[in-house]
Formats: sequence, structure tokens, C-alpha cells
Amino acid sequence: MVGSPVLLIAIPLLAAFLIPLLGIFWKELVRIIPGLVLGYLTILSASLYIDVLNTGTIVETIAGWRAPWGINLVFSPLTGFLATLMTFIGFIIWLYSYRFKRNVEFEAAKKYFIFLMLLVAGSIGIVITGDIFNQFVFIEIVGISAYALTAFYTGRNSAEAAFKYLIMGSLSASALLIAIILIYSQLGTLNMAEIAANIHNMPPQYRVTAMIFFIIGIGVEAEIFPLNGWAPDAYTEAPGPVGSAFAGIVVKAGIYAMVRMMFTLFDISGPMQILIIIGMITLVVAETSALRQVQLKRMLAYSSIGQMGLVLVAFGMGTKAGVFAALFLMLNHAIIKPLLFFSGSYLVFNSKEKNISEMSGLGKLMPFTAAFFALGSFAIVGLPPFAGFWSKLSVLTAAANDGLLLIIAIVLLVSIVEIVYYFRVINRIYFFKFDKATSVVPHKPRVNALIAMAILAILILVIGFYPDSVSEILNRASEDLLNTPDYIKNVLSTGQSLTY
Amino acid sequence: MNIENIEIIRIGVYATSILLILIGLYAVLTKKSLIKIIIGLSIIDGGIHLLLIGIGYIKNGTAPIFSPGFENASAQMVDPVPQALVLTAIVIGFGVTAVALALIIRLYRHHNTLKIDEIKNLKW
Amino acid sequence: MKKTIVILLLAAFGYFLAITFLDPDFEKDRNRNGVKNVYLEKTVSELKTANTVTAIVVNFRGFDTLGEVTVLFLAASALGSILFKKRHHVGERSITLPASSIVSTGAKLLFPAIILLGVYVFVHGHLTPGGGFQGGTIIATGFLLMLISYRNFSISHNILSVIESLAGILFVVIGLMGFINGGTFLQNFMPTGTLNNLFSGGIIPIIYILVGFKVATELTGLIYTILHEKG
Repeated sequence: MVGSPVLLIAIPLLAAFLIPLLGIFWKELVRIIPGLVLGYLTILSASLYIDVLNTGTIVETIAGWRAPWGINLVFSPLTGFLATLMTFIGFIIWLYSYRFKRNVEFEAAKKYFIFLMLLVAGSIGIVITGDIFNQFVFIEIVGISAYALTAFYTGRNSAEAAFKYLIMGSLSASALLIAIILIYSQLGTLNMAEIAANIHNMPPQYRVTAMIFFIIGIGVEAEIFPLNGWAPDAYTEAPGPVGSAFAGIVVKAGIYAMVRMMFTLFDISGPMQILIIIGMITLVVAETSALRQVQLKRMLAYSSIGQMGLVLVAFGMGTKAGVFAALFLMLNHAIIKPLLFFSGSYLVFNSKEKNISEMSGLGKLMPFTAAFFALGSFAIVGLPPFAGFWSKLSVLTAAANDGLLLIIAIVLLVSIVEIVYYFRVINRIYFFKFDKATSVVPHKPRVNALIAMAILAILILVIGFYPDSVSEILNRASEDLLNTPDYIKNVLSTGQSLTY
Repeated sequence: MNIENIEIIRIGVYATSILLILIGLYAVLTKKSLIKIIIGLSIIDGGIHLLLIGIGYIKNGTAPIFSPGFENASAQMVDPVPQALVLTAIVIGFGVTAVALALIIRLYRHHNTLKIDEIKNLKW
Repeated sequence: MKKTIVILLLAAFGYFLAITFLDPDFEKDRNRNGVKNVYLEKTVSELKTANTVTAIVVNFRGFDTLGEVTVLFLAASALGSILFKKRHHVGERSITLPASSIVSTGAKLLFPAIILLGVYVFVHGHLTPGGGFQGGTIIATGFLLMLISYRNFSISHNILSVIESLAGILFVVIGLMGFINGGTFLQNFMPTGTLNNLFSGGIIPIIYILVGFKVATELTGLIYTILHEKG
């Protein structure tokens, strides 16, 4: 045993409280400490994850109280996989933004790194906690740091985007609280495993009501259709790396919370029509909106929402192949979307409007950045030798296994739409003439940003050429999600269940 | 359980909290001033906190504090868990409200107005 | 027109909530023996804390409280970041209320009493109603009173943020010390004493005092930031 899952939360919080003190002594520490913390978290969660794969789920109790009474953290093949992925992406984002506002504004940079670190820590908390109220607290930690990061630039629109996000976020938090109240009032417990064990004792009408409120409550972070109005504005107005943190980390945590709620908390097995319908609507609406966008980051934001819709559809199939495909999609999206955001924000770095039409002919002037953007686009639309191909293929095979022809048709159609709007950008970058009057002034990326992008690009190629390297991990994770009895047993084995 | 056995106080608390939630939602959905929208959010929060406290109520319950001489009185105590949860929920609601007010100050600085109709650079 | 639609929507939503919570059956199948009885029993027998709510907030669900403190810390930082301006005029108030001599004399008289009350509330958080959050808020109201009645009353922002950081660090460190001594995060490792004594409850009063300091400094900082923001 190298450490314990609680350190994944405690260390970043400790560092967040320490940073204002350390900043007084040496200003550079404000940048270095978050990197050290995120790097340590990556190593810690990876080694814990290897431990879990070998010996089985770790259930960590807090304050010495056994599962139904105290709060507990569950580090299982699924949650460990997501936590490792998130800490890794968090580290890459730190690497990319290491020089953010360096030598310009110390106070602002200090706040940026604190918020970024707590955003990652809160997302890990959402994933590994085993208690619904604790999950609510972590959702709020993620929420407040996300509002602050959205409003980070003092420009005209960023406060408006953040305000919009805040209104939606706090309304949905209220819905989540109502769901928690309903569950507590009926079952007398807040522990997820305990709820899962007793959920069938809850009268069905209250169960349905609680589920609706849960979906509304988590839907804002998971970017499902009617609740994702904040996303395009927030992605556009936030600093570049923050957009990739939303796409790579926060949304993943939201999707996890939703899926855990459906699969474990309410113990639904078999196909879930509601997830498929929500996912389908999200997918189609987002991808068609992406086609109409003129701003690069808005387009990427809609593409990200669409991908999450596809993930929900895959989860909704409820079979092992479906869950496998969904997790594969999440993994690929978490790697590819940050690459697109990183390279995309350098491509439009000096532009005010950040329009796609200003990107003509940048391929020759910024060869590396443009190549990374092209690689990311190819990967996300699912061209064969890259990572995205395998995840789309596994969605299609999972749908074909169940004979869901409508899903196959829509996924293929949407892929064509994706190809159109991504290739429109690539066409402009490579095959249009650079024009001084309308194009952006090229901006040479920093070394640390290039390294961050290169790591992600190498990962995309590795997964593209050797998809088997991750399939074992994903298999274990999808088995873990579907196995509710084992989850209950693992968590409650340290103490007996409450008696009825 | 028949109607007579339900304490009027519980129904009153639930009905009041639902009413508060609805009033708050009405303010959020129809009011044009940013400050009034935030007030609406706070009213919703208040309603939910009342609801949360309400589910811990038992008939003739006492506060869950053990005073000297009454160490075995736990049977008559109300459920302490919702009270602990509501403390957390209040603090979180306070934090969100503070951030919202700061955003309003920023918006006012840029637009010199609090009317939501006049602040529409992004699509609402 | 819009209002009618909203009212209809709200009526539907209200009906939906009402049939759930006002349903006579709502109370029937409730499990009233959930975690509640265990908490009440263990608070007396193991934690020796008179106030069960405090025991739950600080010990059973102490992890929530750590998150809660972080939310406040985030809100204070977010306020600073959102209202950040390059040229910050230190000491310049955006709002200066003319305070009459009655108010300013009364404020001077009340200020120590308010601080004392706040300290009392959070020191006795494990015995009587109240605790770190409540006590911290009371202290912050004392500073608010001074800030609005004296134009040139000022607090060093740096000292506030140092106290705030130290309190937060100590909270996490005490949590981690549970690791070394007891085995899990935030676990009690100190003698619990006897019920209803000031020195009882192990680490519970220590953590709640730290929370009190943190909340008091954070709320004072929030008020200070907003008052010194020039529009």
C-alpha cells in the first residue's frame, strides 16, 4: 500500500491553503506547488490503481466510522480509472499553462492555479466519494471554481457567461438537494451502497421523483441537452486551458455521477431508455449547432457536448459492450479534446473575435500547432489509424449487438456532420492562402505547451495503433460499474447493514 | 395512516417550504433585475433548507443536545442529521451568493445597468 | 404573456412537489431508524460530545465540513479574482455611510462584546447550540459594524489571509494526524474526557475553533473586499 485514496483530496486542499502563505516568500512557488501536487496525485492514483487491479477495491473510511455511518471513499477499477485519467489530464493542463500570466499579474496567476487545482480535486472527489451529500459538496466545489475560472478574464462577456453558468448551476444544485432530501427522508441514510441495497423498499412514486431531480441536479455538470446552455459561452469566455479542463475533467465527473446514480443508486439494469433519449437529443442538437458556429472555441464546445451525448447513448444500452464503448469514448475524449483546445487556442491566440475565418493559411506559419490540431480533428471524427476510430467502432458494434439500428444510423450521420465541420477548419488552415488583412498574427507556442501537446498526441497515436493496450483496463472498469451487488458488498463489508 | 394522525405542523412546514421554492423560482424566471434574480435564488435556498429541517421533525421532539441529567433522552430527540446537512447547505449557498454578487458588481461596472435585457452580448 | 406561462409551469411544478411531500403516505414507510440512532448513541458513549449536531458536522461527516470550508475559501478567493483590478487603491472605500455619533459610540461599546460572544459560541460549540460557523459569523458582524460606523477603520488584508490559511492548514494537518495515530483521516486521537466538560470531545472542539477562526477571517475579508471595491 503506497498511500490512501483520501490523500487525493486532502493534499490538494492542504496545498490550496498553503499557496497564499508560500506566495509571500517566493512568487514562483505559486506555479511550482500545484504542478508538484498534480504530479504527485497522478503517481499516487496510478499506483493505487495498479494495486486495485491486483487486489480488489479499496474502501477508505473517514474519521473511523464504518460505511453506513461515516463518509467513505471507494477506489474501484472504475473510479480508480477515472481518477487516474483526471489527475493525469490535470497535470498536462498545468504543464500547458505553466507560464500563464507569468511576470504580468501575480495575484491573478495565484488565483488561477488555486482554482485549477481545486477544480481537479473536486472532480476526483465527485468520482471517488461513496456518499451522496458529500458528492453534492464536491459538485459545489467544482462549481464555484468553475464560475471563478469562467469570469477570469476581465473582459466584457466573461462575467456574463459566468453569471449564466452560476444561475443554472445553483438551480440544479437545489434540485440535487431536493433529491437528497427525498432519499434521506425515505431511507434514513446517505451512503450510496446503503441506498442501493434498500432502494427497492422505497415507494416507486418517490423513487421516480427522486430520479428526476437527480438527473436535473447532475445534468448541468454533465452537459445534457436542456441544461447545457452555459457550456458554449463558458468554454468561449474562459482562458484556453480552462476550456480543456471543463471538457477533459469536469464533464467526465458529471457523466460519472449520472451513470453511478442510474446504475448503482437506483439499480436499473438493462437498457435505459431515458439515457438513450437524452443522449440522442443532446448529440443531434449539439452537432448540428456546431456546424453553424463561426467561433473556433464555440465549435469545440458544441462538439464536446455532442460527444457527451454519444457517451450517454452508449451507457444507456446497459450492456457490457455498451459500457465498454462509453468508457472508451470518455478516455479518448479526455485525451483528444484538450489537445484540440490547446492547439486551437494557440492558433487564434492573437485574434480578438477568435473566428474560424481568420485562420487561413496558418498551417505553413505554425507547422507544429497546426499539425497537432489536424491530428486531434482526425482522431475525434474517428478516422482509422487514430484513437477515436476504435471508440466509435465499439459504440457501433455494441449497438449492432443489440440490434439498435436507429442508433447506428444516427451515429454514422452525426459522424459525417463532424467530418464536415472539422475538415472545414483544417481546409482553411492548410489550403487557404495566408492573408495579412484578415488572418491572425501567428503566435509561436512556448516549449512547455509544445511538450504538453506532444504527450497527448503520442497517447492518441499509441491508443490508435495498439487499442488492446487499454481494453483490459476498460473491461475491468465496465465490469465494475455493472456489478452493483459487489459494490454494495465491498462498501458494507466493513460493517453490517442497517436493519429494517 | 389516516389524516388525523398527521401533525398539522409538519404539513405546514412542508407547504411553506414548497411555497418558498415556488416564489423563488418565479422571481428567477420573471424578474429583470440581476439583484432580484439572486434574491430569488436565496429564497429557493431558504425553502429547501426549511424542507430539509422539516424531515427531521418528530412529535414533541427536543433538541439533540445532551444536557447534564438527561443523558438517556435520545428517544425524544429530533433527527440531528438534517440539521448538520442544513448547516453545510447554508454555508455553500452563502458562498454561491457571494460569488454571484461579485459577478453582478463586475457586470454593473461594464454595462452601468442591472437590467438583464440590456446585458445581452451572449445568447441567453 | 410570459408571466402566464411561468405561472402555469410553476403551478405544475408545485403540484408535483405537493403530491410528493404532502402525500399522507410520505410518513408511512419512512425508515426512522436509519443512521440517527447510531449517531445519538455513539456521540455520548464514544465521542463524549453533548451536542450531537456538532459531533456529526465535525466528526461523523467531518469530510463534508472540510469541503464546506474549502467552498468558503474558494468564494473568498473568487471574489478577489472577479473584482481584481490592476490599480488597486488601498484604503479607499466605495461606500462611505455617514454614521451619527450615537452609532459610532455604540459601535465602540458593542464591538468587544460581539467578539466575546462569537468566541464563546465557537469555543462551546460541542456543548451548546452553535459552533465554528455561527461564532465566526458573529465575529464578522462585529467587524462589519466597525467598518460601517468608522470611515477610516481598516484591517490588514494580509493578516486576515495568513490567519485564514493557517486555520485551513491546521484543519487538514489534524485530519492527517488521525492517520498516524488512529488509522483513518480525521479520526479522533485525543482523550475524550467526560461529557459536558469544556475539555471533552477529543479533537472536535479544536477543529471547531479552527473553523471559527477561518470563517471569521473569511467573512471579514469578503465584507472588506466588497466595501473597498470602487465601481
